[in-house]
Amino acid sequence: MAEIEAKTEVTGSVWKIVTELGQRVEAGETIMIIESMKMEIPVMSEEGGVIQRFLVEETTPVSEGQVVAILTT
Amino acid sequence: MSKPRTVAALGQPHPATEKADRYEVMRAKALAMGGPEKLARRKAAGVLNARERVDVLVDAGTFIESGLFGTSATRPEDRERSPTDGKIVGFGKIDGRECAVVVNDFTVMGASSSATNGRKIGHMKRVATARGLPMVFLGESSGARMPDHMGSRGMGALLGNDGTQYMRMRETPWVSATLGYSYGSSSWYSVLSDFNVMRKGAVLAVSSAQLASLAIKEAVDPEVMGGWKVHAEVTGFADQVVDTDEDAIAAIKTFLSYMPAHHNETPPERAVAPDSGKAMAGIAKLLPQKRTQVYDVRNIIRAIVDAGSFFELKARFGKVAVTGLARLAGRTVGFIANNPLFKGGAMDTDACEKITSFLVLCDSFNIPIVMLVDTPGFSIGTEAERKRAPGKIMNYMQALQLCTVPKISVILRKSYGQAYLNMGGGRNSDEVAVWPTAEVSFMDPTFAVKIVHGLEPGDPGFSEAFNSMNKDNEPWDMAAIYAAQNVIRPEDTRDYLIRMLEVHRQRMTNGVGQHLMHAWPTSY
Repeated sequence: MAEIEAKTEVTGSVWKIVTELGQRVEAGETIMIIESMKMEIPVMSEEGGVIQRFLVEETTPVSEGQVVAILTT
Repeated sequence: MSKPRTVAALGQPHPATEKADRYEVMRAKALAMGGPEKLARRKAAGVLNARERVDVLVDAGTFIESGLFGTSATRPEDRERSPTDGKIVGFGKIDGRECAVVVNDFTVMGASSSATNGRKIGHMKRVATARGLPMVFLGESSGARMPDHMGSRGMGALLGNDGTQYMRMRETPWVSATLGYSYGSSSWYSVLSDFNVMRKGAVLAVSSAQLASLAIKEAVDPEVMGGWKVHAEVTGFADQVVDTDEDAIAAIKTFLSYMPAHHNETPPERAVAPDSGKAMAGIAKLLPQKRTQVYDVRNIIRAIVDAGSFFELKARFGKVAVTGLARLAGRTVGFIANNPLFKGGAMDTDACEKITSFLVLCDSFNIPIVMLVDTPGFSIGTEAERKRAPGKIMNYMQALQLCTVPKISVILRKSYGQAYLNMGGGRNSDEVAVWPTAEVSFMDPTFAVKIVHGLEPGDPGFSEAFNSMNKDNEPWDMAAIYAAQNVIRPEDTRDYLIRMLEVHRQRMTNGVGQHLMHAWPTSY
Protein backbone atom coordinates (compact mmCIF):
# COMPACT_ATOMS: atom_id res chain seq x y z
CA MET A 1 0.00 0.00 0.00
CA ALA A 2 1.66 3.19 -1.14
CA GLU A 3 0.93 6.63 0.26
CA ILE A 4 -0.12 9.40 -2.08
CA GLU A 5 0.18 13.04 -1.12
CA ALA A 6 -2.50 15.37 -2.45
CA LYS A 7 -1.08 18.87 -2.83
CA THR A 8 -2.63 22.24 -3.54
CA GLU A 9 -1.15 23.90 -6.59
CA VAL A 10 -2.17 27.37 -5.44
CA THR A 11 -1.88 29.59 -2.39
CA GLY A 12 -5.27 30.42 -0.90
CA SER A 13 -7.62 29.01 1.71
CA VAL A 14 -9.60 25.80 1.93
CA TRP A 15 -13.14 26.62 0.85
CA LYS A 16 -14.83 23.26 0.83
CA ILE A 17 -13.79 19.65 1.51
CA VAL A 18 -15.94 17.61 -0.83
CA THR A 19 -14.78 14.11 0.19
CA GLU A 20 -14.76 12.11 3.41
CA LEU A 21 -12.24 9.98 5.30
CA GLY A 22 -12.20 6.46 3.96
CA GLN A 23 -13.71 7.51 0.66
CA ARG A 24 -12.22 6.07 -2.53
CA VAL A 25 -11.38 8.62 -5.22
CA GLU A 26 -10.22 8.02 -8.77
CA ALA A 27 -7.38 9.81 -10.58
CA GLY A 28 -8.45 13.33 -11.45
CA GLU A 29 -11.27 13.40 -8.89
CA THR A 30 -11.68 16.51 -6.73
CA ILE A 31 -10.79 16.06 -3.04
CA MET A 32 -11.29 19.64 -1.87
CA ILE A 33 -11.63 23.12 -3.28
CA ILE A 34 -9.24 25.97 -2.55
CA GLU A 35 -10.35 29.56 -2.90
CA SER A 36 -7.61 31.53 -4.59
CA MET A 37 -7.68 34.69 -6.67
CA LYS A 38 -11.48 34.66 -6.27
CA MET A 39 -11.60 31.32 -8.05
CA GLU A 40 -12.54 27.86 -6.86
CA ILE A 41 -9.50 25.73 -7.61
CA PRO A 42 -9.85 21.97 -7.11
CA VAL A 43 -7.24 19.73 -5.47
CA MET A 44 -7.41 16.57 -7.54
CA SER A 45 -6.00 13.16 -6.80
CA GLU A 46 -3.12 12.22 -9.10
CA GLU A 47 -3.90 8.52 -8.68
CA GLY A 48 -6.82 6.47 -7.48
CA GLY A 49 -6.80 5.80 -3.72
CA VAL A 50 -8.56 5.93 -0.36
CA ILE A 51 -8.44 9.08 1.77
CA GLN A 52 -6.62 8.37 5.03
CA ARG A 53 -6.07 11.84 6.52
CA PHE A 54 -6.92 15.46 5.91
CA LEU A 55 -4.11 17.81 6.97
CA VAL A 56 -6.28 20.94 6.72
CA GLU A 57 -9.80 22.09 7.60
CA GLU A 58 -12.18 24.39 5.81
CA THR A 59 -10.91 28.01 5.99
CA THR A 60 -7.29 26.87 6.65
CA PRO A 61 -4.83 29.07 4.69
CA VAL A 62 -2.61 26.97 2.40
CA SER A 63 0.51 27.60 0.35
CA GLU A 64 1.38 26.40 -3.14
CA GLY A 65 2.67 22.82 -3.03
CA GLN A 66 1.36 22.15 0.51
CA VAL A 67 0.18 18.60 1.23
CA VAL A 68 -3.50 18.78 2.20
CA ALA A 69 -4.51 15.12 2.29
CA ILE A 70 -2.96 11.65 2.40
CA LEU A 71 -4.34 8.76 0.41
CA THR A 72 -3.30 5.14 0.10
CA THR A 73 -3.50 3.06 -3.02
CA MET B 1 37.27 -14.40 -81.19
CA SER B 2 38.58 -16.65 -78.47
CA LYS B 3 36.49 -17.48 -75.46
CA PRO B 4 37.36 -15.42 -72.32
CA ARG B 5 39.48 -17.34 -69.91
CA THR B 6 37.82 -17.70 -66.57
CA VAL B 7 39.16 -18.77 -63.26
CA ALA B 8 36.09 -20.92 -62.98
CA ALA B 9 37.27 -22.79 -65.99
CA LEU B 10 40.35 -23.72 -63.99
CA GLY B 11 38.19 -24.92 -61.10
CA GLN B 12 38.65 -21.79 -59.00
CA PRO B 13 35.82 -19.44 -57.82
CA HIS B 14 35.15 -16.59 -60.21
CA PRO B 15 36.48 -13.31 -58.70
CA ALA B 16 33.10 -11.68 -59.18
CA THR B 17 31.43 -14.50 -57.26
CA GLU B 18 34.01 -14.21 -54.53
CA LYS B 19 33.35 -10.47 -54.24
CA ALA B 20 29.61 -11.05 -54.19
CA ASP B 21 30.06 -13.54 -51.38
CA ARG B 22 32.24 -11.08 -49.55
CA TYR B 23 29.49 -8.49 -49.92
CA GLU B 24 26.99 -10.87 -48.33
CA VAL B 25 29.35 -11.61 -45.45
CA MET B 26 30.02 -7.93 -44.84
CA ARG B 27 26.35 -7.11 -45.10
CA ALA B 28 25.34 -9.82 -42.67
CA LYS B 29 27.95 -8.59 -40.21
CA ALA B 30 26.66 -5.02 -40.47
CA LEU B 31 23.06 -6.11 -40.00
CA ALA B 32 23.92 -8.21 -36.95
CA MET B 33 24.14 -5.11 -34.74
CA GLY B 34 25.77 -5.81 -31.36
CA GLY B 35 25.34 -9.60 -31.53
CA PRO B 36 22.73 -12.14 -30.47
CA GLU B 37 23.30 -11.89 -26.71
CA LYS B 38 22.73 -8.15 -26.47
CA LEU B 39 19.75 -8.40 -28.80
CA ALA B 40 18.25 -11.20 -26.71
CA ARG B 41 18.60 -9.13 -23.54
CA ARG B 42 16.70 -6.26 -25.15
CA LYS B 43 14.00 -8.59 -26.36
CA ALA B 44 13.62 -10.02 -22.85
CA ALA B 45 13.27 -6.47 -21.51
CA GLY B 46 10.49 -5.76 -24.00
CA VAL B 47 12.52 -3.11 -25.83
CA LEU B 48 12.82 -3.01 -29.61
CA ASN B 49 16.27 -3.12 -31.18
CA ALA B 50 17.35 -0.42 -33.61
CA ARG B 51 16.38 -2.29 -36.79
CA GLU B 52 13.01 -3.25 -35.36
CA ARG B 53 12.48 0.45 -34.61
CA VAL B 54 13.28 1.32 -38.23
CA ASP B 55 10.79 -1.31 -39.40
CA VAL B 56 8.02 0.08 -37.18
CA LEU B 57 8.82 3.65 -38.22
CA VAL B 58 8.96 3.51 -42.02
CA ASP B 59 6.57 2.12 -44.60
CA ALA B 60 7.43 -1.48 -45.53
CA GLY B 61 10.06 -1.79 -48.23
CA THR B 62 10.91 1.91 -48.41
CA PHE B 63 14.04 2.12 -46.25
CA ILE B 64 17.23 2.77 -48.16
CA GLU B 65 20.08 2.65 -45.72
CA SER B 66 23.05 4.96 -45.95
CA GLY B 67 26.42 3.97 -44.52
CA LEU B 68 25.61 0.34 -43.78
CA PHE B 69 29.31 -0.46 -43.95
CA GLY B 70 30.47 2.42 -41.81
CA THR B 71 32.54 1.44 -38.79
CA SER B 72 34.70 3.08 -36.17
CA ALA B 73 37.58 4.81 -37.92
CA THR B 74 39.57 6.19 -35.02
CA ARG B 75 40.88 3.00 -33.43
CA PRO B 76 41.53 0.04 -35.75
CA GLU B 77 40.80 -2.41 -32.94
CA ASP B 78 37.20 -1.16 -32.78
CA ARG B 79 36.50 -1.70 -36.45
CA GLU B 80 35.27 -5.27 -36.17
CA ARG B 81 32.99 -4.54 -33.22
CA SER B 82 31.29 -1.42 -34.57
CA PRO B 83 28.81 -2.42 -37.30
CA THR B 84 27.19 0.69 -38.81
CA ASP B 85 29.25 2.51 -36.19
CA GLY B 86 26.26 2.30 -33.88
CA LYS B 87 23.93 4.59 -35.79
CA ILE B 88 21.58 3.35 -38.50
CA VAL B 89 20.71 6.14 -40.90
CA GLY B 90 18.85 6.35 -44.19
CA PHE B 91 15.77 7.47 -46.04
CA GLY B 92 12.34 5.95 -45.69
CA LYS B 93 8.75 6.88 -46.26
CA ILE B 94 6.51 7.57 -43.30
CA ASP B 95 2.84 7.41 -44.28
CA GLY B 96 3.95 7.78 -47.89
CA ARG B 97 6.20 10.79 -47.35
CA GLU B 98 10.00 10.75 -47.68
CA CYS B 99 11.91 11.32 -44.42
CA ALA B 100 15.53 11.18 -43.25
CA VAL B 101 16.03 8.85 -40.32
CA VAL B 102 18.72 8.45 -37.64
CA VAL B 103 18.29 5.49 -35.30
CA ASN B 104 20.81 4.86 -32.55
CA ASP B 105 21.88 1.25 -32.04
CA PHE B 106 22.72 1.02 -28.35
CA THR B 107 24.00 -2.55 -28.76
CA VAL B 108 27.00 -1.25 -30.72
CA MET B 109 29.37 0.56 -28.39
CA GLY B 110 26.40 2.21 -26.67
CA ALA B 111 25.63 4.12 -29.90
CA SER B 112 28.37 6.47 -28.79
CA SER B 113 29.22 9.43 -31.00
CA SER B 114 32.23 9.00 -33.24
CA ALA B 115 33.80 10.39 -36.40
CA THR B 116 32.05 8.04 -38.85
CA ASN B 117 28.59 8.14 -37.34
CA GLY B 118 28.91 11.91 -36.98
CA ARG B 119 29.45 12.10 -40.74
CA LYS B 120 26.42 9.86 -41.29
CA ILE B 121 24.16 12.14 -39.25
CA GLY B 122 25.61 15.20 -40.95
CA HIS B 123 24.78 13.73 -44.37
CA MET B 124 21.19 13.02 -43.33
CA LYS B 125 20.71 16.57 -42.09
CA ARG B 126 22.26 18.09 -45.23
CA VAL B 127 20.03 16.05 -47.54
CA ALA B 128 16.93 16.66 -45.43
CA THR B 129 17.52 20.41 -45.47
CA ALA B 130 18.41 20.59 -49.19
CA ARG B 131 15.56 18.36 -50.37
CA GLY B 132 12.85 19.27 -47.88
CA LEU B 133 12.54 16.10 -45.80
CA PRO B 134 11.45 15.82 -42.16
CA MET B 135 14.20 14.48 -39.87
CA VAL B 136 13.49 11.71 -37.38
CA PHE B 137 15.90 10.87 -34.54
CA LEU B 138 15.31 7.76 -32.43
CA GLY B 139 17.65 8.46 -29.56
CA GLU B 140 19.47 6.14 -27.18
CA SER B 141 23.14 6.88 -26.72
CA SER B 142 25.86 6.77 -24.09
CA GLY B 143 27.39 10.02 -25.33
CA ALA B 144 30.81 10.67 -26.82
CA ARG B 145 32.86 7.54 -27.60
CA MET B 146 35.72 6.89 -25.24
CA PRO B 147 38.66 6.97 -25.42
CA ASP B 148 38.39 8.36 -28.96
CA HIS B 149 37.58 11.85 -27.74
CA MET B 150 40.32 12.00 -25.11
CA GLY B 151 43.22 14.40 -25.39
CA SER B 152 43.70 17.42 -27.56
CA ARG B 153 44.08 15.29 -30.67
CA GLY B 154 40.85 13.46 -29.92
CA MET B 155 39.01 16.71 -29.31
CA GLY B 156 40.47 18.40 -32.36
CA ALA B 157 39.79 15.44 -34.63
CA LEU B 158 36.28 14.59 -33.44
CA LEU B 159 34.59 17.69 -32.14
CA GLY B 160 33.72 21.02 -33.69
CA ASN B 161 34.57 20.21 -37.29
CA ASP B 162 31.02 20.83 -38.44
CA GLY B 163 30.08 24.40 -37.61
CA THR B 164 26.40 23.69 -38.25
CA GLN B 165 26.16 20.46 -36.24
CA TYR B 166 23.75 21.84 -33.66
CA MET B 167 22.29 24.71 -35.65
CA ARG B 168 18.54 24.71 -35.94
CA MET B 169 17.06 26.82 -38.74
CA ARG B 170 13.70 25.03 -38.98
CA GLU B 171 13.76 24.44 -42.74
CA THR B 172 12.13 21.05 -42.14
CA PRO B 173 10.44 19.51 -39.08
CA TRP B 174 12.69 17.57 -36.69
CA VAL B 175 11.14 14.96 -34.45
CA SER B 176 12.74 12.83 -31.79
CA ALA B 177 12.03 9.94 -29.48
CA THR B 178 13.99 9.38 -26.28
CA LEU B 179 13.95 5.59 -26.04
CA GLY B 180 16.58 4.71 -23.47
CA TYR B 181 19.60 6.30 -21.82
CA SER B 182 20.18 9.37 -23.96
CA TYR B 183 23.28 11.38 -23.16
CA GLY B 184 25.34 13.83 -25.17
CA SER B 185 24.35 14.25 -28.81
CA SER B 186 21.25 12.09 -28.43
CA SER B 187 19.86 14.50 -25.85
CA TRP B 188 21.00 17.50 -27.89
CA TYR B 189 18.94 16.33 -30.86
CA SER B 190 15.94 15.65 -28.63
CA VAL B 191 15.85 19.21 -27.31
CA LEU B 192 16.59 20.68 -30.73
CA SER B 193 13.58 18.89 -32.19
CA ASP B 194 10.10 20.31 -32.74
CA PHE B 195 8.60 17.29 -31.01
CA ASN B 196 10.15 14.92 -28.51
CA VAL B 197 8.35 11.89 -27.18
CA MET B 198 9.81 10.07 -24.21
CA ARG B 199 9.30 6.44 -23.29
CA LYS B 200 8.88 5.74 -19.58
CA GLY B 201 12.15 4.34 -18.26
CA ALA B 202 14.26 6.44 -20.64
CA VAL B 203 16.61 9.10 -19.33
CA LEU B 204 17.52 12.34 -21.10
CA ALA B 205 20.52 14.19 -19.66
CA VAL B 206 23.78 15.92 -20.49
CA SER B 207 25.77 12.97 -19.19
CA SER B 208 25.23 9.68 -17.41
CA ALA B 209 24.29 9.42 -13.75
CA GLN B 210 27.55 7.54 -13.23
CA LEU B 211 29.61 10.46 -14.52
CA ALA B 212 27.47 12.96 -12.63
CA SER B 213 28.05 10.97 -9.42
CA LEU B 214 31.80 11.05 -9.98
CA ALA B 215 31.77 14.77 -10.72
CA ILE B 216 29.67 15.96 -7.79
CA LYS B 217 30.57 13.18 -5.32
CA GLU B 218 27.04 12.12 -4.51
CA ALA B 219 24.73 9.36 -5.60
CA VAL B 220 22.66 10.38 -8.60
CA ASP B 221 19.55 8.45 -9.57
CA PRO B 222 19.16 8.51 -13.37
CA GLU B 223 15.36 8.64 -13.14
CA VAL B 224 15.46 11.56 -10.72
CA MET B 225 18.10 13.31 -12.83
CA GLY B 226 16.50 12.97 -16.25
CA GLY B 227 13.53 10.62 -16.17
CA TRP B 228 10.19 11.17 -17.85
CA LYS B 229 8.59 12.95 -14.92
CA VAL B 230 11.38 15.52 -14.83
CA HIS B 231 11.05 16.29 -18.51
CA ALA B 232 7.25 16.10 -18.69
CA GLU B 233 6.63 18.26 -15.62
CA VAL B 234 9.70 20.34 -14.82
CA THR B 235 11.73 21.05 -17.97
CA GLY B 236 9.04 20.61 -20.60
CA PHE B 237 11.53 18.78 -22.86
CA ALA B 238 9.11 15.86 -23.25
CA ASP B 239 6.17 16.83 -25.44
CA GLN B 240 4.53 13.49 -24.77
CA VAL B 241 5.22 10.45 -22.57
CA VAL B 242 4.38 6.89 -23.60
CA ASP B 243 4.83 3.36 -22.27
CA THR B 244 6.43 1.56 -25.21
CA ASP B 245 8.73 2.04 -28.19
CA GLU B 246 5.79 1.31 -30.50
CA ASP B 247 3.70 4.04 -28.85
CA ALA B 248 6.58 6.50 -29.21
CA ILE B 249 6.91 5.80 -32.92
CA ALA B 250 3.15 6.08 -33.35
CA ALA B 251 3.28 9.49 -31.66
CA ILE B 252 6.02 10.59 -34.08
CA LYS B 253 3.89 9.54 -37.05
CA THR B 254 0.87 11.38 -35.67
CA PHE B 255 2.88 14.55 -35.08
CA LEU B 256 4.29 14.43 -38.61
CA SER B 257 0.78 14.00 -40.03
CA TYR B 258 0.05 17.61 -38.98
CA MET B 259 3.28 18.99 -40.41
CA PRO B 260 4.40 20.02 -43.88
CA ALA B 261 7.52 18.25 -45.16
CA HIS B 262 9.33 21.60 -45.21
CA HIS B 263 8.76 25.28 -44.47
CA ASN B 264 7.88 26.24 -48.03
CA GLU B 265 4.68 24.24 -48.18
CA THR B 266 1.47 24.08 -46.19
CA PRO B 267 0.58 21.11 -43.98
CA PRO B 268 -1.20 18.18 -45.63
CA GLU B 269 -4.99 18.16 -45.59
CA ARG B 270 -7.06 15.24 -44.35
CA ALA B 271 -10.63 14.17 -44.85
CA VAL B 272 -12.94 15.56 -42.17
CA ALA B 273 -13.77 12.85 -39.65
CA PRO B 274 -17.44 11.87 -39.36
CA ASP B 275 -19.24 13.41 -36.38
CA SER B 276 -17.03 16.51 -36.47
CA GLY B 277 -18.95 19.43 -34.98
CA LYS B 278 -21.64 17.22 -33.44
CA ALA B 279 -20.73 18.38 -29.92
CA MET B 280 -21.13 22.06 -30.76
CA ALA B 281 -24.80 22.16 -29.74
CA GLY B 282 -23.80 21.52 -26.12
CA ILE B 283 -20.61 23.57 -26.00
CA ALA B 284 -22.04 26.41 -23.88
CA LYS B 285 -22.76 23.89 -21.14
CA LEU B 286 -19.05 23.09 -20.87
CA LEU B 287 -18.61 26.55 -19.38
CA PRO B 288 -19.72 26.72 -15.69
CA GLN B 289 -22.53 29.10 -14.78
CA LYS B 290 -20.56 30.73 -11.96
CA ARG B 291 -17.61 32.90 -12.92
CA THR B 292 -15.63 31.53 -9.99
CA GLN B 293 -15.89 27.92 -11.10
CA VAL B 294 -13.28 26.16 -13.18
CA TYR B 295 -13.48 23.71 -16.08
CA ASP B 296 -11.17 21.85 -18.44
CA VAL B 297 -10.81 23.87 -21.63
CA ARG B 298 -9.63 20.75 -23.48
CA ASN B 299 -13.25 19.61 -23.60
CA ILE B 300 -14.11 22.82 -25.46
CA ILE B 301 -11.22 22.33 -27.90
CA ARG B 302 -12.27 18.73 -28.58
CA ALA B 303 -15.83 19.88 -29.30
CA ILE B 304 -14.67 22.52 -31.79
CA VAL B 305 -12.05 20.62 -33.83
CA ASP B 306 -12.47 17.76 -36.27
CA ALA B 307 -13.43 14.66 -34.31
CA GLY B 308 -10.44 12.90 -32.75
CA SER B 309 -7.89 15.36 -34.15
CA PHE B 310 -6.68 17.10 -30.98
CA PHE B 311 -3.01 16.22 -30.33
CA GLU B 312 -1.87 17.86 -27.12
CA LEU B 313 1.76 18.87 -26.54
CA LYS B 314 3.44 19.26 -23.12
CA ALA B 315 0.24 18.30 -21.28
CA ARG B 316 1.99 17.99 -17.91
CA PHE B 317 4.12 21.14 -18.20
CA GLY B 318 2.76 24.66 -17.70
CA LYS B 319 -0.70 23.14 -17.27
CA VAL B 320 -2.43 26.50 -16.87
CA ALA B 321 -2.17 26.72 -20.65
CA VAL B 322 -2.97 24.13 -23.28
CA THR B 323 -1.09 23.83 -26.56
CA GLY B 324 -1.85 21.32 -29.26
CA LEU B 325 -2.31 20.59 -32.93
CA ALA B 326 -5.70 19.78 -34.38
CA ARG B 327 -7.63 20.01 -37.62
CA LEU B 328 -10.49 22.22 -38.63
CA ALA B 329 -12.24 21.18 -41.84
CA GLY B 330 -9.27 18.90 -42.53
CA ARG B 331 -6.59 21.60 -42.16
CA THR B 332 -3.94 21.75 -39.44
CA VAL B 333 -4.47 24.44 -36.80
CA GLY B 334 -2.49 25.17 -33.63
CA PHE B 335 -4.58 25.74 -30.50
CA ILE B 336 -3.46 27.80 -27.53
CA ALA B 337 -5.89 28.01 -24.63
CA ASN B 338 -5.92 29.02 -21.00
CA ASN B 339 -7.01 26.17 -18.79
CA PRO B 340 -8.94 27.38 -15.72
CA LEU B 341 -8.85 23.83 -14.33
CA PHE B 342 -5.32 24.59 -13.16
CA LYS B 343 -4.72 27.68 -11.02
CA GLY B 344 -7.84 29.24 -12.48
CA GLY B 345 -5.95 29.74 -15.75
CA ALA B 346 -3.58 32.35 -14.27
CA MET B 347 -0.52 32.20 -16.51
CA ASP B 348 2.86 31.36 -15.02
CA THR B 349 6.36 31.35 -16.46
CA ASP B 350 6.20 27.69 -17.52
CA ALA B 351 3.07 28.48 -19.53
CA CYS B 352 4.85 31.45 -21.13
CA GLU B 353 7.71 29.19 -22.28
CA LYS B 354 5.33 26.53 -23.50
CA ILE B 355 3.25 28.97 -25.53
CA THR B 356 6.32 30.75 -26.91
CA SER B 357 7.81 27.51 -28.23
CA PHE B 358 4.44 26.53 -29.70
CA LEU B 359 4.09 29.89 -31.48
CA VAL B 360 7.55 29.38 -33.00
CA LEU B 361 6.58 25.88 -34.13
CA CYS B 362 3.33 26.98 -35.77
CA ASP B 363 4.78 30.04 -37.44
CA SER B 364 7.80 28.14 -38.75
CA PHE B 365 5.64 25.55 -40.47
CA ASN B 366 2.72 27.63 -41.78
CA ILE B 367 0.17 26.50 -39.18
CA PRO B 368 -2.59 29.05 -38.37
CA ILE B 369 -3.20 29.72 -34.68
CA VAL B 370 -6.43 29.81 -32.68
CA MET B 371 -6.40 31.19 -29.15
CA LEU B 372 -9.16 30.45 -26.64
CA VAL B 373 -9.05 32.95 -23.81
CA ASP B 374 -10.11 32.54 -20.19
CA THR B 375 -7.49 33.89 -17.83
CA PRO B 376 -7.53 36.20 -14.82
CA GLY B 377 -4.06 37.36 -15.92
CA PHE B 378 -0.44 36.49 -15.27
CA SER B 379 0.59 35.01 -11.93
CA ILE B 380 2.18 37.77 -9.91
CA GLY B 381 4.19 37.93 -6.70
CA THR B 382 7.68 37.21 -5.45
CA GLU B 383 7.98 33.74 -6.92
CA ALA B 384 6.88 34.89 -10.38
CA GLU B 385 9.45 37.70 -10.38
CA ARG B 386 12.23 35.32 -9.31
CA LYS B 387 11.30 33.15 -12.26
CA ARG B 388 11.85 36.16 -14.53
CA ALA B 389 8.18 36.64 -15.37
CA PRO B 390 8.63 39.99 -17.18
CA GLY B 391 11.22 38.46 -19.52
CA LYS B 392 9.10 35.39 -20.21
CA ILE B 393 5.97 37.46 -20.82
CA MET B 394 7.81 39.68 -23.30
CA ASN B 395 9.45 36.72 -25.11
CA TYR B 396 5.95 35.35 -25.56
CA MET B 397 4.62 38.74 -26.65
CA GLN B 398 7.37 39.22 -29.19
CA ALA B 399 6.85 35.72 -30.57
CA LEU B 400 3.15 36.46 -30.98
CA GLN B 401 3.84 39.71 -32.80
CA LEU B 402 6.45 38.11 -35.07
CA CYS B 403 4.02 35.41 -36.19
CA THR B 404 2.97 35.87 -39.79
CA VAL B 405 0.54 32.96 -39.92
CA PRO B 406 -3.17 33.80 -39.40
CA LYS B 407 -4.15 34.22 -35.74
CA ILE B 408 -7.69 34.21 -34.41
CA SER B 409 -8.53 34.89 -30.78
CA VAL B 410 -11.80 33.88 -29.15
CA ILE B 411 -12.52 35.23 -25.66
CA LEU B 412 -14.66 32.67 -23.84
CA ARG B 413 -14.75 34.25 -20.42
CA LYS B 414 -12.04 36.23 -18.59
CA SER B 415 -9.40 38.33 -20.31
CA TYR B 416 -7.54 40.69 -18.04
CA GLY B 417 -4.54 43.01 -18.10
CA GLN B 418 -1.42 42.21 -20.09
CA ALA B 419 -2.72 38.68 -20.64
CA TYR B 420 -5.42 40.22 -22.86
CA LEU B 421 -2.64 41.23 -25.26
CA ASN B 422 -0.67 37.99 -24.95
CA MET B 423 -3.79 36.01 -25.79
CA GLY B 424 -4.31 37.95 -28.99
CA GLY B 425 -6.41 40.90 -27.84
CA GLY B 426 -6.55 44.00 -30.04
CA ARG B 427 -4.29 43.85 -33.08
CA ASN B 428 -2.32 40.96 -31.65
CA SER B 429 -4.44 38.65 -33.75
CA ASP B 430 -6.08 39.00 -37.13
CA GLU B 431 -9.58 38.62 -35.73
CA VAL B 432 -10.99 38.86 -32.22
CA ALA B 433 -14.30 37.18 -31.49
CA VAL B 434 -16.01 37.12 -28.10
CA TRP B 435 -18.63 34.91 -26.56
CA PRO B 436 -21.47 36.73 -24.77
CA THR B 437 -20.00 35.31 -21.55
CA ALA B 438 -16.75 37.26 -22.04
CA GLU B 439 -15.53 39.71 -19.45
CA VAL B 440 -12.66 41.97 -20.38
CA SER B 441 -10.91 44.53 -18.23
CA PHE B 442 -7.61 45.58 -16.73
CA MET B 443 -8.12 43.55 -13.57
CA ASP B 444 -10.68 41.36 -11.82
CA PRO B 445 -13.59 43.57 -10.65
CA THR B 446 -13.25 42.38 -7.04
CA PHE B 447 -9.69 43.68 -6.89
CA ALA B 448 -10.63 46.83 -8.82
CA VAL B 449 -13.35 47.67 -6.26
CA LYS B 450 -10.78 47.34 -3.48
CA ILE B 451 -8.22 49.51 -5.27
CA VAL B 452 -10.60 52.17 -6.62
CA HIS B 453 -13.15 52.34 -3.77
CA GLY B 454 -11.29 50.71 -0.86
CA LEU B 455 -14.17 48.25 -0.35
CA GLU B 456 -13.97 44.57 0.53
CA PRO B 457 -16.68 41.97 -0.12
CA GLY B 458 -19.34 42.46 2.64
CA ASP B 459 -18.65 46.21 3.06
CA PRO B 460 -21.62 48.57 2.49
CA GLY B 461 -21.59 49.68 -1.13
CA PHE B 462 -19.38 46.83 -2.30
CA SER B 463 -22.13 45.09 -4.27
CA GLU B 464 -23.11 48.27 -6.13
CA ALA B 465 -19.49 49.08 -6.94
CA PHE B 466 -18.82 45.49 -8.00
CA ASN B 467 -21.88 45.34 -10.26
CA SER B 468 -20.87 48.59 -11.91
CA MET B 469 -17.30 47.37 -12.51
CA ASN B 470 -18.54 43.99 -13.70
CA LYS B 471 -21.11 45.47 -16.10
CA ASP B 472 -18.42 47.50 -17.76
CA ASN B 473 -16.54 44.26 -18.36
CA GLU B 474 -19.19 42.81 -20.64
CA PRO B 475 -18.27 42.37 -24.30
CA TRP B 476 -20.78 44.81 -25.80
CA ASP B 477 -18.75 47.97 -25.27
CA MET B 478 -15.79 46.25 -26.85
CA ALA B 479 -17.89 45.26 -29.85
CA ALA B 480 -19.32 48.78 -30.09
CA ILE B 481 -15.87 50.30 -30.62
CA TYR B 482 -14.85 47.42 -32.94
CA ALA B 483 -12.10 46.21 -30.60
CA ALA B 484 -13.76 42.84 -31.13
CA GLN B 485 -14.78 42.15 -34.70
CA ASN B 486 -17.48 39.62 -33.81
CA VAL B 487 -19.64 38.52 -30.92
CA ILE B 488 -20.49 34.89 -31.59
CA ARG B 489 -22.78 32.30 -30.08
CA PRO B 490 -20.65 29.56 -28.50
CA GLU B 491 -22.30 26.90 -30.65
CA ASP B 492 -21.23 28.79 -33.81
CA THR B 493 -17.53 28.80 -32.86
CA ARG B 494 -16.46 25.91 -35.10
CA ASP B 495 -18.21 27.33 -38.15
CA TYR B 496 -16.88 30.81 -37.40
CA LEU B 497 -13.29 29.56 -37.13
CA ILE B 498 -13.47 27.48 -40.30
CA ARG B 499 -14.92 30.40 -42.23
CA MET B 500 -12.53 32.97 -40.80
CA LEU B 501 -9.45 30.81 -41.39
CA GLU B 502 -10.60 30.55 -44.98
CA VAL B 503 -10.84 34.35 -45.21
CA HIS B 504 -7.33 34.71 -43.78
CA ARG B 505 -5.60 32.11 -45.94
CA GLN B 506 -2.31 33.53 -47.14
CA ARG B 507 -3.16 33.52 -50.81
CA MET B 508 -0.36 35.86 -51.88
CA THR B 509 2.26 33.36 -50.74
CA ASN B 510 0.38 30.08 -51.16
CA GLY B 511 -0.06 29.76 -47.42
CA VAL B 512 3.64 30.23 -46.61
CA GLY B 513 4.59 32.72 -43.89
CA GLN B 514 7.78 34.72 -43.38
CA HIS B 515 9.23 32.49 -40.59
CA LEU B 516 10.76 35.39 -38.71
CA MET B 517 11.59 33.10 -35.76
CA HIS B 518 13.17 30.26 -37.72
CA ALA B 519 16.44 30.70 -35.81
CA TRP B 520 14.92 31.21 -32.35
CA PRO B 521 16.09 28.90 -29.56
CA THR B 522 14.35 25.57 -29.09
CA SER B 523 14.02 26.08 -25.33
CA TYR B 524 14.11 29.18 -23.12
